[in-house]
Amino acid sequence: MKRSIEIGILFSRSGDYQLLSNASREGVLAAIEAINSDSRRSFLLRARERDPQGQIERYGPHCVELLRDEGVKHIFGCTTSWSRKEVIPLLEKHGGLLWYACPYEGFETNDHVIYAHACPNQHIVPLLDFVIPRFGRDPFLLGSNYIWGWELNRVARDLIGDVNGRVLGERYLPLGDTGIERLLQEIEAARPSFILNNLIGQSSHAFLRAYAELGRRDRAFAPENCPVVSCNLTEAELSAIGEAAEGLLSVGPHFADPRATGALARASSFHASAHAAVLMLADALEAAGSEDPDSIRKALDGLEVETPLGPIAIDGQTQHTSLPVRIGRVVGGAFEVVWESQGRQDPDPYLSYLGPRALQRHAHLRVVSCNE
Amino acid sequence: MQRVIRRNSRIPNLGGKRALVLHRPHANVAALLRQLTAIGLDAEAVWPRLPEDVGKADFLFFDVDMACDEQFPWQPGEAPMPLVALIGSEAPGRIEWAMSHRADAHLVKPIGSAGIYSTLLIALQKFEERQALIAEIAALRAQVAERRVIVQAVLQLMELGMNEDEAFSRLRSIAMHRRVTLELAARSIVEDRPRRQIG
Repeated sequence: MKRSIEIGILFSRSGDYQLLSNASREGVLAAIEAINSDSRRSFLLRARERDPQGQIERYGPHCVELLRDEGVKHIFGCTTSWSRKEVIPLLEKHGGLLWYACPYEGFETNDHVIYAHACPNQHIVPLLDFVIPRFGRDPFLLGSNYIWGWELNRVARDLIGDVNGRVLGERYLPLGDTGIERLLQEIEAARPSFILNNLIGQSSHAFLRAYAELGRRDRAFAPENCPVVSCNLTEAELSAIGEAAEGLLSVGPHFADPRATGALARASSFHASAHAAVLMLADALEAAGSEDPDSIRKALDGLEVETPLGPIAIDGQTQHTSLPVRIGRVVGGAFEVVWESQGRQDPDPYLSYLGPRALQRHAHLRVVSCNE
Repeated sequence: MQRVIRRNSRIPNLGGKRALVLHRPHANVAALLRQLTAIGLDAEAVWPRLPEDVGKADFLFFDVDMACDEQFPWQPGEAPMPLVALIGSEAPGRIEWAMSHRADAHLVKPIGSAGIYSTLLIALQKFEERQALIAEIAALRAQVAERRVIVQAVLQLMELGMNEDEAFSRLRSIAMHRRVTLELAARSIVEDRPRRQIG
């Protein structure tokens, strides 16, 4: 009989970001099912689950329950950086490893975290590299008043400055705020080349609906002339946004492929990366022969794993993932990939190698035509 | 609600920068080297001797518990790169010694996964600030030293029949005309005097 290994799941099934956390959770569950039905595996995975319900103060206690009471060593969970930072001291204290599979703002390399989704050199940098030559270098920056928006817009300001562009506005809304009228008036007056949207959840959806309306009224703000671009928009949110999502540009390691079969035909990168993270743990468990986090870390270094994202690998130094980078545009309610990296992009979570000349070839560009 | 945005300096590119860690082999050093490498630095631990080319290092971390003045090839407070103190014992004597070396930032042992990136950024900023201040003080000192020359020059011009205001504005216009500092213009007047007397 196969031995069982218990793993923790810590995703909110309700609350502000439930669309994202439920997508991640489903990815983990799908991967567990795939592993348990694979006869070549030497073990079965058993999920031990806690649901913080989107309440930040519940992550810590639930994390301790999983590590101490359930005795798990590996937890798949957390969507926001805030919740990740809440559980890190507890992982350190109880010797656990968090598998964090959401795009985040970077500037962290904790021994107790495996970062399984994109960091800034795998999202904001290639996204601006794609958008600036096509639409121009004078953006309007938006964000929820939270570390994700602050840090991504911070990187954007640097890159825009490097190509002699001008940031025509930078505005933040409190989390959950949907009062976007004034914001829209400012954008209308500023006439930017594109809009970098780092709003999250309800604020983002309200903005996208209002902006699509503005684009219908004034073609200068239609997606082909002044698109909204973002680093975390995925299929998980498309149905909530509806028609207003048409023409949006987003970057990520994966977009659903309608030609694929099964669940992955509709899977967002939250789903696919969470799925991939469980496969990485499974392969590392086979290689290490132990679930001890130190042995798993060692086994992961240099290990290439076949996943729904394609073959990916963990960089042992940073515990971040070497991932493909893709840019998608929403067409008819689904993403169409309009650009992809040649092979994988290695992680650079501190942007330590992003010199001022990274995007400089765009410094003297003229946007001849915005219509692609 | 709006956040106040201040244009800061660019995110520094620490990739490939060299960090030396002056500390005996220890788990703390391993943790520090691991984080520095993850951030992208080329990091190396040395003990007890700093290498000959220590001047080429971009950062120097040093052990406050065990290190001493003799290990540094410079006078306390004159390190040519940002210094980070690694503090174990918080005994006042050791802290005082670390401060005599003007550490730009510090880390308290045990060293974990957090705090090292911020320490690098703080140390870099403090070091650059300190270098700028040293340069400014040197320039101000030079100005003060030249004050006597300006007085001499004004007195000499007054001997030619100008009052003090006229003498000073003549000095200023000479400096402007020659595109040199007031001090240099004054020195040239003072040094010209013997020739003028002969002539």
